[in-house]
Amino acid sequence: MEGLPIDSLCKVSRIALTEEEKARMEKELEEILEYFDSISDVDCDSYDPAYHPVEIQPKFREDEVEEYISADEMISQTKTYRFFVVGPKI
Amino acid sequence: MKIGLEVHIALPTKSKLFCGCSTEQTELPNSHVCPVCMGFPGSKPVLNKKALEVCLSVANALKCKLAESTSFIRKTYFYPDLPKSFQISQLDQAVGTDGRVIIKTSAGSKEIRITRVQLEEDPAKIIRGEDYTLIDFNRAGVPLAEIVTAPDISSEEELSSFINELRSILYYQGVDINKELKADLNISTTGDRVEIKNVTGVKNLLDAMRYEVSRQEELARNGHEIHSETRSYDESKMETVGSREKESAEEYGFIFEPDLTVYDTSWAVLKEPVIASRIAEEYSKKYNYSEGTIYDLIKFDMKALEFIDSAKERYSMQSVVGCIELLKKYDLMSIDEASFEKVLKALDSGISLDESKIKLLISGKNVEERHLNDEIIEDIIRKEIGDAEKFKEEYARNPKIINFIVGKVVKEYGASPGYVAEKIRKMLNL
Amino acid sequence: MDLRYSGTMGMISEFAASELPKDYYANLLSEIKEINKKLNAFNVVNEGISSGFPFSVKDNICVKGFEATAGSRMLKGYIPPFNATAVERLLAKDYGFVGKTAMDEFGFGSFGINTDRIARNPFDTDRVAGGSSSGAAVATAILKYHVAMCESTGGSIANPAANCGVVGFTPTYGVISRYGLIDYSNSLDKIGFMARKAEDIRTVLDVVRGPDKRDTTSVDRQITGVKKSRLYIIKGTLEKVDKEVALSFSKFIDKLGSEGYEIKEVSVEDIEKSIPAYYIISMAEASTNLAKYNGYKYGLKNENFVEQYNDFFTEARANFGIEAKRRIILGTFVRSANVKGRYYYRALKIRAKIIERMSAILQDGFIISPTLPMKAPKLEEAQRLPPVKAYMSDFLNIPPNLGGFPHISFPFDYIDGLPIGAQIITSHFNDYALLDFASEWEKQFEYRFKYNLGSL
Repeated sequence: MEGLPIDSLCKVSRIALTEEEKARMEKELEEILEYFDSISDVDCDSYDPAYHPVEIQPKFREDEVEEYISADEMISQTKTYRFFVVGPKI
Repeated sequence: MKIGLEVHIALPTKSKLFCGCSTEQTELPNSHVCPVCMGFPGSKPVLNKKALEVCLSVANALKCKLAESTSFIRKTYFYPDLPKSFQISQLDQAVGTDGRVIIKTSAGSKEIRITRVQLEEDPAKIIRGEDYTLIDFNRAGVPLAEIVTAPDISSEEELSSFINELRSILYYQGVDINKELKADLNISTTGDRVEIKNVTGVKNLLDAMRYEVSRQEELARNGHEIHSETRSYDESKMETVGSREKESAEEYGFIFEPDLTVYDTSWAVLKEPVIASRIAEEYSKKYNYSEGTIYDLIKFDMKALEFIDSAKERYSMQSVVGCIELLKKYDLMSIDEASFEKVLKALDSGISLDESKIKLLISGKNVEERHLNDEIIEDIIRKEIGDAEKFKEEYARNPKIINFIVGKVVKEYGASPGYVAEKIRKMLNL
Repeated sequence: MDLRYSGTMGMISEFAASELPKDYYANLLSEIKEINKKLNAFNVVNEGISSGFPFSVKDNICVKGFEATAGSRMLKGYIPPFNATAVERLLAKDYGFVGKTAMDEFGFGSFGINTDRIARNPFDTDRVAGGSSSGAAVATAILKYHVAMCESTGGSIANPAANCGVVGFTPTYGVISRYGLIDYSNSLDKIGFMARKAEDIRTVLDVVRGPDKRDTTSVDRQITGVKKSRLYIIKGTLEKVDKEVALSFSKFIDKLGSEGYEIKEVSVEDIEKSIPAYYIISMAEASTNLAKYNGYKYGLKNENFVEQYNDFFTEARANFGIEAKRRIILGTFVRSANVKGRYYYRALKIRAKIIERMSAILQDGFIISPTLPMKAPKLEEAQRLPPVKAYMSDFLNIPPNLGGFPHISFPFDYIDGLPIGAQIITSHFNDYALLDFASEWEKQFEYRFKYNLGSL
């Protein structure tokens, strides 16, 4: 059983762990992963993956414009500049 | 040289892919937004039926195998323009696969394979600032078709021809081709594939390709290996540049989109594909006229094709094309078929037409023959032909080139094509 | 409000038939605020409530104009500009919104401890209220006239309901629209209810259920109430729970047997594998759902705009709790390209298998068990538990949740003054049958409560 590549996972998910958190997590994650590995011996090849627990029928929207929430309300909680939402630099 | 493209085009729908916000262009940022397209917690996507239908239609026009059942995935990555930090896109059950586009070059016909056509949502629009970005979510959630080619393109001519052909096919599917084409280029010469991301517009695509190929060839000449990487195109410098963002190996970690389901597609009504290049080829043979001229006329103009189809059995292609070119010159293409018939009839009967005469005809009046100034006509002919001996040689090989000259004269002077063609033959003893 | 009478009068009917004193709601609010200092049931109360039968809303379900934190610092200060459909439907029938209830961050937890202000068990404030709908259970245990709208992904309604001695009902997946529910795991989340009487749950279920054009996964199906005369106990269940619970449960089963139910043991192959399968699926989905929280659109804001976006996001996301971080990391792992087949896909196949097996059994019987393996643990005990042990302790609640089966928990005994719950599962869309079962039980068993705020 290979260990979790914690550093690259943290990087990919933009989660920074403190040294303390990392030390604690390494052991916990190892235990959890071992527990996850217990599914490897389940006989389930004849089953299709169940993406939902019940059948979900296709449901569509008609191509119509709907004014649902006012634009003012939508940007009222973000930092804005001339109606643009301000985000971090790239 | 192996070049592949990943093209993104906005589909012609009134509302967005997963919500009812308008897709209409607007100057005011963040005015067509809602919790769904801004990625607010608790919001959920619902699929726009028309978007799926149009995407199926586009895939069909690209001769793809259409999915009987289609579904969506989440592509998770972090960037300020991505409202949910995942894009709802497609993977295994994409709308269309295994299609093709036939292009024509100086070397003949070639098939460019279309690997896949998939339906996905557009991220937001961002404006890069020094210490921030400005984000406009009006674009977020607009339905896109992503069209992916195999690396079958092997020259600049082929690339140009492909883009042209693709845009024409898309035009006839109702896609707004005035919106700039956005594509990623994948280019490999001697080594690995290099990806040039987010190139906008036909000119930039050709420039970027040209630059990148010569960059790679230079590296190879100096003994360097070319490694796989992602670059972007700098329009101002006309160069491709290494990605300034350290390609933090994004792990997309695709999962089935659990807020959506599997959609059957049999109900879709597909728009008839119109392949302008194929029509031009057919008409050229059948009506003895320059293929290139017909193609250029109809590739982004369905009205022109309509006019041709309405008259091709009853008038010479020469006259039909000449008439259309005149109407285009005077910006009168919005007239109906009946009016077109009137103008065509007059032109074909030998009446030479100018703008005022054409307008009279359209409004239902008759016009009289105007006195043709032969001198002027002959001058224009001489100007257009240039070297008479050379022209005669080419004519011997391909008589259709006379149509080209006739067209130019008619466009400039408005005489009847038949009359002009006769004149040319007399002048050159053809 | 319409008067409904059935076998057991619900609290809604009683309330509707009563005369309310003039300052009923003002008094109710001050009572709530006082006791909240000790029990932390509510994250926020609605000062403006002035009419209607009171209902609370778990803090991961959006109520327009009221803070929705989902128990997380990442959403501190977020005010949704829209109502969840379920909330909208109750408000349209003049129910009175009383406040947002405390929960484990984003639903990650079985004890209610994974959040800043921890809800306490009204029967013993040193003990947990359960999770993740901890506040909902506490509110139901303290308010006389009230229903709690809450949510379950892996057992988050049954668990706290059992710990706090109230009825907790989780409908079939898709019966109640998830629009406006802040996602933990989209293919597992279900909105449900807690109340003091099953009848009340039936009343609000009927108001709220049914297809929603804004939620693709809300289904258009008939709900049935087919009674089964057989009660299945999954082999080995009683050996895995605390002795005192097993003993009490056995007596309960005997009683039901004497009332006409046939009691039978049944084996479900690989049922214990439903727990790791559940965590794999839910963490995979959760890790994508939580990616949107990065400090500039809503909730907690990072003001450090000199940072490039990767650092900006990472700095903001340091404000997740440790359990959330754990699940994001694991969730990202199990869906990454090179191991996806082994974990994510395999878990989805196991879900298919479990559903098939359980559906077959549920054709001709309910599945019954204690809701939890033990009475409510002490806070420090819960906090000391290693995560993997905490996950394993959900073994009774996860199978129906993984399979999207409706299930109900209701008190059937008290041990050392602490409530003990029984859990009944039925087949997809046979939801009413569970409410009928509990209503029947209520005819012969009175639930006990320490508090009765809002009494008339």
